[in-house]
Amino acid sequence: MKKLHWTTVAAVLGMGAAGLVLAGTIFVSSGIYNVAASSGHFRITTWLLAMVRERSIDMRSFPIEVPPIDDDGMIRLGAAHYEGGCVPCHGRPGEEMNPIVSGMLPPPPNLTEVGKRRPPEEIFWIVMHGLKYTGMPAWPNTGRDDEVWAVTAFLATLPGAVSGYPDFAGLARGGGDKHEGLANGRTFTRCGRCHESEGTGTNGNRIPRLAGLPEAYLLRSLREYAERTRASGAMEPVADLLDDGRMRELAAYYSALRPVAPKTTVAPDPERLRRGEAIAIRGIPRHGVPACLTCHSGRQSSYFPTLAGQHAAYIAEQLRLWQRGGRVGTAYGRIMAVVAGALSAEQIEDVAAYLASLPPGAAPPEPMAEVSR
Amino acid sequence: MRCARPFAPLALLTLQDCAGVQSAFDPSGAEAERINVLSWLLILSSVAVLVAVCLITAGALFGSERWRARISGERLVIGGGLVLPILVLSILLSYGFYLMGPGSPAGRADGRLRVEVVGERWWWRVTYVDESGRRVESANEIRLPVGRPVGVELTSADVIHSFWVPRLAGKLDMIPGRTNSLTLQATKAGISRGQCAEYCGGAHAFMSFYVIAMPEDQFAAWLEQEAGDAQIPTGADETAGQTLFLSSGCIACHSVRGTEARGTIGPDLTHVGSRHSLAAATLENDVSAFARWIRDGEHVKPENLMPPYDIFTEAELAQLSSYLDQLR
Repeated sequence: MKKLHWTTVAAVLGMGAAGLVLAGTIFVSSGIYNVAASSGHFRITTWLLAMVRERSIDMRSFPIEVPPIDDDGMIRLGAAHYEGGCVPCHGRPGEEMNPIVSGMLPPPPNLTEVGKRRPPEEIFWIVMHGLKYTGMPAWPNTGRDDEVWAVTAFLATLPGAVSGYPDFAGLARGGGDKHEGLANGRTFTRCGRCHESEGTGTNGNRIPRLAGLPEAYLLRSLREYAERTRASGAMEPVADLLDDGRMRELAAYYSALRPVAPKTTVAPDPERLRRGEAIAIRGIPRHGVPACLTCHSGRQSSYFPTLAGQHAAYIAEQLRLWQRGGRVGTAYGRIMAVVAGALSAEQIEDVAAYLASLPPGAAPPEPMAEVSR
Repeated sequence: MRCARPFAPLALLTLQDCAGVQSAFDPSGAEAERINVLSWLLILSSVAVLVAVCLITAGALFGSERWRARISGERLVIGGGLVLPILVLSILLSYGFYLMGPGSPAGRADGRLRVEVVGERWWWRVTYVDESGRRVESANEIRLPVGRPVGVELTSADVIHSFWVPRLAGKLDMIPGRTNSLTLQATKAGISRGQCAEYCGGAHAFMSFYVIAMPEDQFAAWLEQEAGDAQIPTGADETAGQTLFLSSGCIACHSVRGTEARGTIGPDLTHVGSRHSLAAATLENDVSAFARWIRDGEHVKPENLMPPYDIFTEAELAQLSSYLDQLR
């Protein structure tokens, strides 16, 4: 066989490459490729996309450690957010898929069985980060693991929680309230699904009690959510839908609402309450922790929230959020970040339990700074 | 002389730092004066020894045969190498013991006034205790009566700090859980500057203070004033500023005697407007410095433990600052 000279090989390869580039340019610029969702993928493309996606989810969610998610309050918070944020595409658990979104490529999966199909760390990872090439969005901000875990907690209980869904998502709550329509009746802005209305408490203990809080504080919070300086995947989309007038109305409404006495569940440990009381009233000067009630008793600036009777789980979660650096977007938050950073995990539980045990709406005891060390 | 000229500016450079509010070479306290005497004695002795060694070396290198023979003799080796160092060092050591040691003529604190200083990150908690046991808390400044030896008790609330006012005395560490005692006796009225002299974390370099020595009668009047409650603001801005101070969380950490502000985490502010400086000798003490500190303290003194308070409008900040400024 005649030996090929290298210049011949190079010329053939070069011509081949130029041909490929030309063909590619024609393919891309001519519009010959059909991007229609209705046209579907080749089977091999579908297989390849699914393979890459599953392998990626598997690997990326591997290092995630699952916190305790078997908590009624978390499931309720997660389900209530699911109703506003996820139902438009994924539908309510147990119901038929919406025919409009079924035309997406790929169509959003029905999540009725997701708790069986995927372990919690995979659910968490997908809800937190979203999925490329599918239309699944990432969580609005990356600092709120706690909110994503709440949604995960709800999804992980499926399909067992299907029958409880209307209750968990608060579908029947606050129906008769005349303020229900305040924010144009969208699912997201039906505040009473999660927060209090006349005569009812919050939907679980992970959702803050708003009744009787200072109006200026409530308005400030709504504005911070709308400006996205206070991070929350649950509240940012809500506040985004409200104009300033609506925010003022809502702040005034909740501020004037009479707090409902909290449901007495398990009585907290008296030792814990005693320790919490010491922190709330005297602080821990040695560690630079001021007394909570020097700012949060209701006798101070109306931009500060009152904490008497707030859910312990909510207070503790927010303090941990400050410790993780998730609430430093606002000037007020940066003040509190210094205080929260000085508390231990145990002290957070103590002080949250004490503040929750105070009767809501009543002025708590006068804080007494230690006279000397 | 010609070859010395290029070095003249260098020599000036080293000497210009030798005067001023934080110079050990410009003493205004009894112990610092003794340290100054001892320092100069050691410096002059060392210079004398150095000159002698240089002369002998020069003699050995360039001297005549007779000089070289003398230098290589056993007498010089024994006399200059053994007897002289033992003699000179022993005399210096004894004199040092005499000046600084337990049997020294150091002034004993007369017990009429005691000052407790606690090192905090990164400021000084100062408490005056008079004969009757009355405690007067202040911060970041120490006032002393001229001529009277005052006992100073030093400790720390967190990490090891060190208390050093070079014009008044030597430095002494402040150790958590332990009290170290120092006697300060100012010999003339005036201002000296002190500095934390042990690295204690982020804002260590900005942990300073002023010591103000004043005549006995003025000091007594000042202490009476310092022991009193804060004055009640009169102007509209100042009154509005007080309301802000009491309602915005400041009182969780700061005390202003005579009001409901009883926080103990940060410095006592009862008479903060009368102090020589703000933020532990970091800022001048005026209205604009208060405003700057409240809003932008982290840039003024990085890592300081007061939370950044950027929640006030310009007008509110001005009111709050003028309230603090009138706390004299």
